[in-house]
Amino acid sequence: MRRRVLRKGEELVAQNSQPSESCIVLSGFTAREVVLADGKRQITALHIAGDFVDLHAFLLKLMDHSVVALTDCEVAYVPHRELLRVIEQSPHLGRLFWLSTVIDGAIQRAWITSSGRRAATAHLGHLICELYLRLHAVDLARDGSFAFPVAQTELADALGFSLVHVNRTLQELRATGFVRWKGSTVAIVDFDGLAALSQFDPTYLNLVKLPR
Amino acid sequence: MPRYFIDSSDGNFSHIDSEGVELAGDAAARYLALDALPDMVREVLPDGDQRQFAVCVRDEGGKVIYSASLTLAGGWREGYTSDLENGPLIDL
Repeated sequence: MRRRVLRKGEELVAQNSQPSESCIVLSGFTAREVVLADGKRQITALHIAGDFVDLHAFLLKLMDHSVVALTDCEVAYVPHRELLRVIEQSPHLGRLFWLSTVIDGAIQRAWITSSGRRAATAHLGHLICELYLRLHAVDLARDGSFAFPVAQTELADALGFSLVHVNRTLQELRATGFVRWKGSTVAIVDFDGLAALSQFDPTYLNLVKLPR
Repeated sequence: MPRYFIDSSDGNFSHIDSEGVELAGDAAARYLALDALPDMVREVLPDGDQRQFAVCVRDEGGKVIYSASLTLAGGWREGYTSDLENGPLIDL
């Protein structure tokens, strides 16, 4: 396993590359991104500590998108031959890798639904609920609070909003009293209220311990 | 880089930009302001027949240097008696 420290903005995995290793995030926030010819960017997923961001490359070979560091990060690269060895020797671990990519797919469905059908405040609220539960599962959030040091332009690219609309939506969400957002700290004051506003159902995150 | 402030209103909810954003120049500020209009429209329509959406850009001195608006003007054609008079078909 090769460890690497990345500065904000650096690429963990490059589009069109053919990685021979897969990347796991140890600390910081990373994003999967697709950049269009005119420079417009869509962040299609956010990944946090513990996420195996690049398990896809093991099977896909050629990357169709890139993964970038949204904050300073520490990551580890695991050679594909080692992944293969683990899967062959311990089939249940292979199923856990599979589960990880299946949950990535479930999160993607939730994001598509938000983008296509949720109102802006519900879309942002849904993302906040999701991030809180994911960060809480790896002990990076507690008492409704978590650090989310990303710029508003990055939030805009993750939500598919214009920058001005992100500002408007933050103000509207703040006015509900369910959540406070100061600097890089998000504090959920009323999780149930925020979840109801956002129609957030955590089933898709599969945060339950079951035999797989 | 100069700082610009972009205010917006969807006819109901107004947002006054108190933070501002540093941009390369006037063209980028105009782009950002116009970019907000379709988002605002998508958010609230359809919820009526009359509405005005507006954005404006202020410079560092607080002077409005650019403004734009979109107007929704809907209505049943003259001579047509809408069944809406018996109550709306879709209850929003």
